[in-house]
Amino acid sequence: MSKKESGAQWLLLTAVFVIATCGLIYELVAGTLASYLLGDSITQFSTIIGVYLFSMGIGSFLSKYFNTNLLAWFIRIELLVGMVGGFSSALLFIVFPMAASFRIILYAIVLITGVLVGLEIPLLMRILENKVAFKELVSRVFTFDYIGALLASLIFPLLLVPHLGLIRTSLFFGIMNVGVGWYLAYRFSKDIRQGALLKVTAILLLAAQVVCFVFSEKIMSFSEALTYDDNVVYSTSTPYQRIVITKNKHELRLFLNGNLQFSTADEYRYHEALVHPAFSSLSKPEQVLVLGGGDGLAVREILKYPTVQQVILVDLDPAMTQLFSRQRMLAKLNDSSLLNPKVRVYNADAFTWLRNNKIRFDAIVVDFPDPSNFSIGKLYSTSFYQLLKHALRPDGIAVIQSTSPFVAPKSFWCVDTTLRAVGLHTVAYHNYVPSFGEWGYIMATPTPPQEWFGHLPSPLKYLNPTTLQQMLTFPEDMKAHQLLDINKLNNQALVKYFEEEWGKYLER
Amino acid sequence: MRRRSFIQCIAGLTVVSSFLPSCQQQRVISGSIIGASAHTGHLLRDKNFAAPVTVTEHSVVVVGGGISGLSAARQLHRQGITDMVILDLEKEMGGNAACGKNQISAYPWGAHYVPIPNNDLTAYIDFMRECGVVTSPTDAPLPTYHDYYICFDPEERLYINGQWQEGLVPHYGVPDAERKQVQAFLHQMQVFREAKGQDGKDAFTIPMDNASKDPAFTALDTITMKEWLHQQGWTTPYLQWYVNYCTRDDYGTNYDEISAWVGIQYFASRKGKGVNVEHQDVLTWPEGNGWLAGHLKKELQPYFHNEALVARIQEEDGKLSIDYFDVKESRLKRIRAQQCILAVPQFVAGRILQDEARIRKVHQHIQYSPWMVANLRVGDLEERTGFPSSWDNVIYNSPSLGYVKATHQQVTQEKAVRNLTYYLPLTGGQPAEERKAAIERTHTEWVKMIVNDLDKVHPNIAEAIEEVNIMIWGHAMSKPVPGMAHGNIRQELAASVNNRLHFAHTDLAGNSLFEEAFYQGLSAAQKVITQLSGKI
Repeated sequence: MSKKESGAQWLLLTAVFVIATCGLIYELVAGTLASYLLGDSITQFSTIIGVYLFSMGIGSFLSKYFNTNLLAWFIRIELLVGMVGGFSSALLFIVFPMAASFRIILYAIVLITGVLVGLEIPLLMRILENKVAFKELVSRVFTFDYIGALLASLIFPLLLVPHLGLIRTSLFFGIMNVGVGWYLAYRFSKDIRQGALLKVTAILLLAAQVVCFVFSEKIMSFSEALTYDDNVVYSTSTPYQRIVITKNKHELRLFLNGNLQFSTADEYRYHEALVHPAFSSLSKPEQVLVLGGGDGLAVREILKYPTVQQVILVDLDPAMTQLFSRQRMLAKLNDSSLLNPKVRVYNADAFTWLRNNKIRFDAIVVDFPDPSNFSIGKLYSTSFYQLLKHALRPDGIAVIQSTSPFVAPKSFWCVDTTLRAVGLHTVAYHNYVPSFGEWGYIMATPTPPQEWFGHLPSPLKYLNPTTLQQMLTFPEDMKAHQLLDINKLNNQALVKYFEEEWGKYLER
Repeated sequence: MRRRSFIQCIAGLTVVSSFLPSCQQQRVISGSIIGASAHTGHLLRDKNFAAPVTVTEHSVVVVGGGISGLSAARQLHRQGITDMVILDLEKEMGGNAACGKNQISAYPWGAHYVPIPNNDLTAYIDFMRECGVVTSPTDAPLPTYHDYYICFDPEERLYINGQWQEGLVPHYGVPDAERKQVQAFLHQMQVFREAKGQDGKDAFTIPMDNASKDPAFTALDTITMKEWLHQQGWTTPYLQWYVNYCTRDDYGTNYDEISAWVGIQYFASRKGKGVNVEHQDVLTWPEGNGWLAGHLKKELQPYFHNEALVARIQEEDGKLSIDYFDVKESRLKRIRAQQCILAVPQFVAGRILQDEARIRKVHQHIQYSPWMVANLRVGDLEERTGFPSSWDNVIYNSPSLGYVKATHQQVTQEKAVRNLTYYLPLTGGQPAEERKAAIERTHTEWVKMIVNDLDKVHPNIAEAIEEVNIMIWGHAMSKPVPGMAHGNIRQELAASVNNRLHFAHTDLAGNSLFEEAFYQGLSAAQKVITQLSGKI
């Protein structure tokens, strides 16, 4: 064997080593990313490894169809693995919020890398078959293959994930892969056709991956921004929630933990419907309590009643109430209602606050997030409504935002059932808010007024006396049609209804 | 690359990643070990006390401020007996219902819940009414329980086959045939719950001594729970695990040691009904049964002598001489009393009475299981998929009983920082060896054990733990082995001595439950009252 041939052989074996390392790294990246984004790491790792090994089998099978220009094919495959594997995690991060079929893309990437890696070893063995004794060949190729795998498995958890992160790890190995491909093309340019084209491709790929490597932070934040349709103009994480505000030409939207709270395009429909049916039924609302509603929009409507002497707003998150008091663009939305001298803001847990409260109110507006978890579910329980009842004057009225009676009729009427269970009289109603869809509210009072709905204040953009009457009618598809459980602290029936109904709705 | 290399890689990966947290664990997790005054307690075994320096006279002395002692003392106080002293070794009364507190919430050091009381336990329900737990009047056909004290939903979850499932009875990933065995077992427990003996009494009930003596049922006290399960042909590991979990949870005893009768008692004795509860509901508080102990203690403050180690009790001139070591003053003192209730475990009673026969009997028949209880203050925990965080969180096949969220009964929105109470009955080997090993283990070693266990369900637990405090209960409770429930040993040990000295403790009741302790106290108090009124 000539010295040159021996050098070439070792170079190719180094390529095996790099391929083995890179191949395993891509799978580990895919598995980790899938566990991060989809959860259930056992299932993710298991299915990804399975698909990968199976794809390698496909690759090995396909290798028999490659009969000429084996070295050129080997280099092409090397570059392809580098490209697909290198960009895989950046791509997956970006498509996660966009693509409904994230899993399909994930497994496609795993399949492609598996097939390519599966092709490489048989091709390489055939390239070297006439140059080395068979037993030597098998021994060397697999030794390097396995050593590469070991290296990958050690450095991935110890060095790469902690220091580079997932996007950079896969790009780094993409660069390695492509680098090897480029060097092989350079070194054997005389032995292969189109050697120049391969070299140029390799250099372009290298450049693209280096750029991505440098800007990987931007990719991460781009992927968050894509979750929202519009530009994110403000975002912050408080101990209680993630607040995101987005804006386009026409409207501004507030999201808490990714759930839309309001859009300026139609929030007046929601807040007028929340406040005025109850307030217009009171002869003289003076003492008012708002639970939740830190955006101050309900308070804006409340302050349209001149008889109101004091509004107490209790919201858990100081970041919310401060944002909507101090930030000019946001304070303009609520007419600076939170800065009004009649308004006092307390940042406290509503349940505890109500337990310690001694004041009796004419009106209470309950504007909590939907009962989507067991923690919030407590704020819709009989125990909470008992406190609510106690905080109302005998002729006072409370109104509770109660999710969508169209999407979740059982949840909506469960709130009604629970309010009645503590001895309150209720009136349920609903309206259409384009951003949310059909939305529901329930008024509750210890003693019903002689007459519901009196004089409406002005100016209002949505409500008039006829609309008020219309809101009371429920079509058949917004009724529960079954006996519902009362929501208690020890059964959390509402959260179960809510999960069932919204889960089914969002699956569509 | 072939399959083998992959398996190697993945195995390598797990090995490597398991090193990672331990490297990061260089961070010292604060906290301490606060055993139940084992050192002072062992003075009783090791020290020769001098003669007492003071002598006082009282009509009644209660030794032991656990639930039995407190319940006895409260009853005596209610009956107008006010010339009384309660002596306890610890700084706080409460026994196994001890509790602690930090900036987040109160938390239990031992027992942390009681089941809904059986409806025939009138005195106990009356006590519950006084505490505000029962909100309905005495004449209501069924009691109503306060919503704040009924365990909130979600109550229990089990991590099994890679996922959290709701409830502790294994079902996720359990094959149908094995699930049917579990169902058959639960059905049989329902049958036992309703069963009555030839004597008309309930086959299983609380207190245990009120249960039927029908041999059809008491025969179950001659075999272990494991033997009984095998006799029934219920061999699925899922059911075996579940039953073993339950017997360790309530009695600190493995199912292959516990009497089948007592094992069944766990499932079949609870039949309380209420307007807003079912028999399987439980009552709980952030501080666990410490909350109930707090109510028992309410009127008893003037009688308390804490940090008082009773060294010996002798009978002299028709009275009892009770010598105790005042830990604070480091002096031996004497009380002369007409009546005494010894509300301490029998292995302590034997030493105090210097009664060799009793010591021998106890040694021969009663084993005490050691426990470790840890309170963990943790930050935001990573969660596995499945059912969300609950009150009781159990890991299938773990040596521990999992953890209880002490902050669960708070009505506030859930916060990231929480107190978790972690329970580990030390049932791996012989109690004496386990006890010794437990006392020798360092704080760092305990923390490592806890982290290794919880790591399966909360991968970031090592970083999320802020503080760990540990309680070692050397003799937490007596083991209800076959013969304890329906043999004679308990009666022999429980017999009053010369109508002056009476016993009250759950090791005499046969199992360590709050209700048993409560009635132990009541019945001892009644004996004292009878004796005192007889003399007047």
